[in-house]
Amino acid sequence: MSAGPTAAAGPGKGRTGPLAWLAIPALVFFLAFAVLPLLGVLLLSFTTWDGIGAISLAGLANWFGIFTDPLMYNALWLTLIIMVVSWLVQTPISLLLGTFTAGHQKYRALLAVLYFLPLLLSSAAIAIAYKALLDPNFGLAEGLGLPVLAQDWLGRPELALFVVIFVIAWQFVPFHTLIYQGGVRQIPKSLYEAAEIDGAGRVKQFFFITLPQLKYTIITSSTLMVVGSLTYFDLVFVLTGGGPGNSTRILALDMYLKGFKANLMGPASAVAVILVAIGLALALLLQRIGGKDNSGSQLEGS
Amino acid sequence: MATVITKRAAAAPASDVRVRGRAGVRLRRLNLPAGAAGWLWLAVIIIPIYYVAITSLKTQAGYFGQNPLALPKAPTLDNYRMVLASDFARYFLNSALITAGTLVPSLAFSFMASFAIVRGRGRFLKAVNGLFLMGLAIPLQAVIIPIYLMIIKMHLYDSLLAIILPSIAFAIPLSVLIMANFIRDVPNELFESMRLDGCSEWQTLWRLALPLTKPAIVTVAIYNGLGVWNGFLLPLILTQSPELRVLPLALWTFQGEYSVNIPAVLASVVLTTLPILVLYVVGRRQLLSGLTAGFSK
Amino acid sequence: MEPISPSRRSFLSLAVAAPLAAWGLSACGTAGPGGAGTTGGASMWSLTGQPNEGIRKDTVDVFNKANADKQIKLTFFQNDAYKTKIKTAIGAGQAPTIIYGWGGGTLKSYAQAGQVEDLTAWFAANPDVKAKLFPSAFGAATVDGKIYAIPTQTVAPIIFYYNKELFAKAKVQPPKTWSDLMSLVATFNAMGIAPLSLGGQSRWTSMMWLEFMFDRVGGPTVFNDIFAGKPNAWSNPAALEALTKIQELVSANGFIKGFSSITADSNADQALLYTGKAAMMLHGAWTYGGMKNDGGGFVQAGKLGWVDFPTVEGGKGDPKNTVGNPANYQSISAKATDAEKETAKKFFKEGLFTPAEIDAYIQNGGVPIVSGIESKLAATADKDFLTYVYTQSKDAPNFQQSWDQALSPTAAEALLNSIDQLFVKSITPEQFAATMNATLGK
Repeated sequence: MSAGPTAAAGPGKGRTGPLAWLAIPALVFFLAFAVLPLLGVLLLSFTTWDGIGAISLAGLANWFGIFTDPLMYNALWLTLIIMVVSWLVQTPISLLLGTFTAGHQKYRALLAVLYFLPLLLSSAAIAIAYKALLDPNFGLAEGLGLPVLAQDWLGRPELALFVVIFVIAWQFVPFHTLIYQGGVRQIPKSLYEAAEIDGAGRVKQFFFITLPQLKYTIITSSTLMVVGSLTYFDLVFVLTGGGPGNSTRILALDMYLKGFKANLMGPASAVAVILVAIGLALALLLQRIGGKDNSGSQLEGS
Repeated sequence: MATVITKRAAAAPASDVRVRGRAGVRLRRLNLPAGAAGWLWLAVIIIPIYYVAITSLKTQAGYFGQNPLALPKAPTLDNYRMVLASDFARYFLNSALITAGTLVPSLAFSFMASFAIVRGRGRFLKAVNGLFLMGLAIPLQAVIIPIYLMIIKMHLYDSLLAIILPSIAFAIPLSVLIMANFIRDVPNELFESMRLDGCSEWQTLWRLALPLTKPAIVTVAIYNGLGVWNGFLLPLILTQSPELRVLPLALWTFQGEYSVNIPAVLASVVLTTLPILVLYVVGRRQLLSGLTAGFSK
Repeated sequence: MEPISPSRRSFLSLAVAAPLAAWGLSACGTAGPGGAGTTGGASMWSLTGQPNEGIRKDTVDVFNKANADKQIKLTFFQNDAYKTKIKTAIGAGQAPTIIYGWGGGTLKSYAQAGQVEDLTAWFAANPDVKAKLFPSAFGAATVDGKIYAIPTQTVAPIIFYYNKELFAKAKVQPPKTWSDLMSLVATFNAMGIAPLSLGGQSRWTSMMWLEFMFDRVGGPTVFNDIFAGKPNAWSNPAALEALTKIQELVSANGFIKGFSSITADSNADQALLYTGKAAMMLHGAWTYGGMKNDGGGFVQAGKLGWVDFPTVEGGKGDPKNTVGNPANYQSISAKATDAEKETAKKFFKEGLFTPAEIDAYIQNGGVPIVSGIESKLAATADKDFLTYVYTQSKDAPNFQQSWDQALSPTAAEALLNSIDQLFVKSITPEQFAATMNATLGK
């Protein structure tokens, strides 16, 4: 930004100039279909509606109900577990894989091609494929004859959640791998050369050069991962439907089941508001941790 | 224009030299643990996909009788015929329509908005920018109930447009974020020179910003496109007619009906993924570089 | 520099045109709000699953041929998806003209929201239609003294099926009492055969166990109290005993491994019975037709057996009591146009329960809810089963309607959820009762 602040180009039409008009279409769509429903969800949480008949006001009844509903706390807890464990599982793997595929060996390029495949599949497709795979009577385990694999993966509450986390990781690690790969490729070689001269081994280079340089990438990837984990729905819905016995009934699923199965749109909206609140809080927190400096360039000093 | 190219070119040749030079020796030492881990992860990725592919070619009886990981003794395309006969061509068309119908407007509007946010002045645009940033945290799932209500009131229930309109809205925040980042990196001198040439802002957008932001646009198009193509919740709630089903929904319905016939179900999985797979094979380099470029900022 | 405005216009118009094009194409696809597109036509939704799917389609085809100007457009959905879809459709004002259902609490919620037609007057004006059908079937169709649906299809009590071949191999007899059942569980597990097949993920399949157990232990009053909304009705000692016994059955590995991830939609649970992976199955009478179609000769070879649900020692329930669906029901959407409603009513009067349809049901192992068909039943290859079902339904001192249909949708969802947890043993019977007590009267 070498020149001083330039006035808006074209005829001096005032401070915002003609440029503001360019943002209008996006703004309109966003306001209409994202912001308005957001307010709508807040309002609906104070009503009683079964989805079929009329909407009537219900005051704070839904909110009192939600805060005393064990299903809600169950959902919160499950969502938290998925968020934390997913991050713990996916980030290291993606970081390592991203660094791995950023290398220029031919075989690594081939592997990278294959690594990306899961991301092409829809969540529904992946869930269906895994449902077939893990079927205790007709699936992989039965055929391979390995008793340790023949668990009731999706039928036992303790196992189902970890299966869900595994399948989510299977689906999304490729994406984050790509992000990290891009990030690693942008690290100037000069930094590594300098470290090499100083006698740092590969592990030290990873921890002292790669990781710090990837700071913003890690923030981006983590934000996407964490906020994304709040909204997993498709995969869990098709894979387990929230069961068995509520063991995978995460927030988004709880909301759907309350609203569209039990006809309780009011309480479902309350759960939705909680979902949004947590999402906003997380996004803000992550931005603060990363510094709000997303307009700066990371290439300073190179 | 020149400054940008040199910046990007600076990184490339350096790394190439390294591969053939000293780095060759260095990397050979590190291969084993990294390589082993790489192959292990490959197995994790590939086994389910392999299983899906070969099972789809088996008959149901053959599947029950054999080891699930063995190749089919008598491969058959019957499952695929069955899936196609279940109207999958129409579902494919529906998916294509909503994807195109979402991508074109959302890319256009987001690009215009990003340009305005980066190049413009004033509180209004700053507020818009802030709004979109916050919007990243709004999950679609959370607002699905009011959207359902709105779509009903707009008499759009059970139409493809019902899926398209909210999808456009939710594609905007991320698109704006990524595109704005790219536009920001365009040096001010270039804009200055356009202005000095007498171009209007619109011309600047079209002739300068658009070509330079192409990687970001590609990234966003791929990311959002995949999201819409594979989207499940909106079609689940906002459509009901079988003729309007999109691929993920059709897959789920098909699985529900035929779940005992695992080969048929997996054939449907393969068929619904095939279009994207083809795109991947054809445009992989663009796909990958596109996705990488956009997010690594 | 040449003016770029033409490209700006074409650019923007492209951005607007794309969704509009999609809309246009989709408008060709939709059939309009619930209607068949042609004037006077009606739309109808029904469930997938042979043989009823085929019978329903044939019936509608016959009607459509005879009524060229009033066609009925028929769409099929899977069971579990249908139950949610129909509610969203009704809420969106896009319900089909003819709404398929199970009566009871869900029908009540439609009626109270003014979404279904009151057919009392129509039945009064068409007494021959009413007289043809089982009188007991009208109970679940009546809300506050008014009839909101026509009973249709077959009566479907829940049957205790067993695989005769496996029983012969194990040299055992079908269970008469609960302890018989528990010892059979031990026997079959020792042989490596699952004692009971169950599509637990659908949840209403597990519910059938509770329905019978509550009755066998404490008689019909246990659920009647619940239905009437009596406080703490779920904590009835009989109820708790029933719940405890069921958990004992689960703990004894009575149900096939992985039952929590098997759905009934795809008939996977039936497949387990006729492929010899499970020895017994508690399921609706409608599955007889399904097993006959898909079982590869299993039913025709006489390998399918059935008995009354076992009694519980010391229990108050009459062994002749049964549970299930007294019928299925079809209602007319109150939001349909008059022409559509007329078509629907014509279909009810002339299209349903034609001799051809009655025969089709009987041929496929179902008992249509039509009076006076004893001789027809006795003349088929499936007469043993059909006569059994017919007599059971006719003579049962108490025929309890499926709970998830009798109760309101809210209570039903809470019930199914609790049952799910009960069967994976993540809650105790007392916790189950406490959760359900909170839904009484809702």
